[in-house]
Amino acid sequence: MRLPRYLVMLLATPMLLSAARTHETNPMSSAEDLQEGERLYRINCGVCHGMEGDTGRGARLARRTYLRGNSDAELFDLIEAGIPGTDMPGLWLDEDAIWKILLFVRTFAATASAACEPGSGDAVAGKQVFDNSGSCLACHTVGQKGGRLGPDMTYAGVTFSPDQIRKALVDPASDIAKRYGTVRIVTGEGEQVEGIWINENAYNIFVMDRSEEIRSFRKAELKSLEQPDESLMPAYGNLLSNEDIENLIAYLCTLQGLTRENVL
Amino acid sequence: MRRGIRQLTLCGPLLCAGLSAGEVTTADLLEDENVASDWLNYHGGYSGHRHSLLDQITRSNVKSLRLEWVFQERIAEKFEVTPLVHDGIMYITVPPGDVYALDAETGARLWRYSRRMPPKLIACCGLVNRGLAILGDRLFMATLDAYAIALDRKTGRLLWETELIDYSLGYSGTLAPLVVKDMVMVGTAGGEYGIRGFIDAFDVATGERKWRFYTVPGPGEFGHDTWAGESWKTGGASIWITPSYDPELNLVYWGVGNPGPDWNGDVRLGDNLFSDSVVALDADTGKRKWHFQFTPHDVHDWDATQVMVLVNKEYRGAMRKLLVTANRNGFIYLLDRETGEFLRATQFVKQTWAVGISEEGRPIRRPGMEPSAEGIEVYPTVAGGTNWMSPAYSPDTGFLYVSCREGSSMYYKGETEYTPGTRYWGSMFVNETTMHNWYGAVRAFDPVTAELRWEHRLFRPAWAGLISTAGHLVFAGTSDGFFKALDSESGEELWRINLGAGVQASPVAYESNGRQMMAIAAGGGLFVFSLPEPAID
Repeated sequence: MRLPRYLVMLLATPMLLSAARTHETNPMSSAEDLQEGERLYRINCGVCHGMEGDTGRGARLARRTYLRGNSDAELFDLIEAGIPGTDMPGLWLDEDAIWKILLFVRTFAATASAACEPGSGDAVAGKQVFDNSGSCLACHTVGQKGGRLGPDMTYAGVTFSPDQIRKALVDPASDIAKRYGTVRIVTGEGEQVEGIWINENAYNIFVMDRSEEIRSFRKAELKSLEQPDESLMPAYGNLLSNEDIENLIAYLCTLQGLTRENVL
Repeated sequence: MRRGIRQLTLCGPLLCAGLSAGEVTTADLLEDENVASDWLNYHGGYSGHRHSLLDQITRSNVKSLRLEWVFQERIAEKFEVTPLVHDGIMYITVPPGDVYALDAETGARLWRYSRRMPPKLIACCGLVNRGLAILGDRLFMATLDAYAIALDRKTGRLLWETELIDYSLGYSGTLAPLVVKDMVMVGTAGGEYGIRGFIDAFDVATGERKWRFYTVPGPGEFGHDTWAGESWKTGGASIWITPSYDPELNLVYWGVGNPGPDWNGDVRLGDNLFSDSVVALDADTGKRKWHFQFTPHDVHDWDATQVMVLVNKEYRGAMRKLLVTANRNGFIYLLDRETGEFLRATQFVKQTWAVGISEEGRPIRRPGMEPSAEGIEVYPTVAGGTNWMSPAYSPDTGFLYVSCREGSSMYYKGETEYTPGTRYWGSMFVNETTMHNWYGAVRAFDPVTAELRWEHRLFRPAWAGLISTAGHLVFAGTSDGFFKALDSESGEELWRINLGAGVQASPVAYESNGRQMMAIAAGGGLFVFSLPEPAID
């Protein structure tokens, strides 16, 4: 009953390290490896990251760069060890299995990357639409310029596909992140406030109004509180030409992070 | 009265011989729910009531409640502990494997035990621990690396440790153990990893195993034929919440977890006993006296690891020894706890998977509500109509208080294969598309009729338990970070404070130097509240 605990741990060590990495880059590459990687991904990863790597409570994998490392070795270690303090557990699979999963995960990034090519649009003309005629910059940030009522576009070319951008421009209400949901309030004094959702609890709601002020309201004191399935962003399908929209997509696809140009 | 009532006549000869003052006796544990000052068992007593006799904090003065002290630690995991309090000292576990003794009056640290853990612990839902058990001068803990351990309560020194099973196969210990007589009982978590669940009882002095009960029966054992083929070997049926105990019947009531794989039942055709059941075990032998299965052949992950609340009430004209439990599947069940006879089941949250419950207690399933490749929306959510967080039962109002979770999940079914130590789920669930309809509620029920007496709506479904007190209060935690006091008769909110993090623990009450203290864990802190002197009646 009284086990020599540290001896047990010592003996168990080779097994604990059974998935230890022996390669710096992914040795798997065949179609069979990919197929097996997809199967293992669906069993082990899809529940949190989504079957296509783009939904769920886990990090979005359908992107070209990752917050916690981009090399094969870094991503292998991440899958193998998990992320302490988060719901991302380590995977107890052998080394080959993890490499195969990574091979499949890389296909998400490849898709995202290939998809956000400028296409037929003119990125320079698109920047003019974004900054000037379309007034996009009034609500969206690129680098250190722009507004705060819409999502930051600094990494748009990494995180969105052209189809996603097109859909967001034409039908902005179709997929709004909660953080940018519309809130309409009439206060007890009759003031009408419209803005985006920042946070709420049982008693209070916090809103960024159209002038970008963060305001707190006690729910019990409001005359009305609406959270409609609408976007503060207008539907640009009616406001811009198809050419402008394609130019905008081309421009947004070039946005890959902070640069000398977009940092003041 | 700081030490509580001693009834030495109840002590066994082994346990009481030679004990010095301050040690926790079997008599203390038997009297825990009749003694206000300490909190000696996860539930505050063997009956699972989580009710305190302390009445200093009342409906009229609770608005003056103030923070007395805070214990803070760098805790990245969910802090789900129920503290134990004895003789002015509080004992808590801090994830993943630490134990602290704190001065219950001030929160000052007295000692710390830090368990050296292997590098890769396996736990589906966080590296959590829910607390300790106590007897004599010993504290007992189930550890994430699947050991039962005993510590010296005065120093934190390790006295013995016994391995439950190889943790690398997906087993872990997360529950607060139960002490009965000279035994400490634990079960194993890991229902998402293809384990074969079991319950162990160990000698409190030596750590020697006294008995084991498998929650998935092996060949030749009752219930084995409810598992197709070899599926019993990986059937899950984990144990991760402290059971209740009836000393007169000498029965321990264990709520058992889900069968595995969770969402694909094709590989485990049959009822899958004793998953999603309550099993009543003889405390001395570990033999099954009776069982009742809430959700036969579960495919929604609705563990029956909710607290089994023991009450003695009149039922159809006769006094009965009853067991009442609000189950994750959306129904409150009333059973006879001597025999396991099914008496009643009543829906207590929205559910769409069952037409009703038969006279024998079996669910009458609504067709087409099983997980599918395309996904199916079913109420309640995968987390259930309630979950592990404690209910409370007040002998004053006679109400059962339950933290209820309203909403649905999308349930998917997919292929699965068993690899030791890895997830064995059978696909997935998705909440993102359904959670706009979610909300929570603290509800008061008549435990016998399940009639709703009041409801206090919560902004989101909570992961926090409840406590009722003799001050006619119910204390509740919420997911938006509040700790609040409700009128136990009406549900009216009387006091609240925001603790800055979602509450994922159940509160306790104890007495320190004549003052009633309320303790609750939230985020990386343990918060203790009391009344300032002038507010005390």
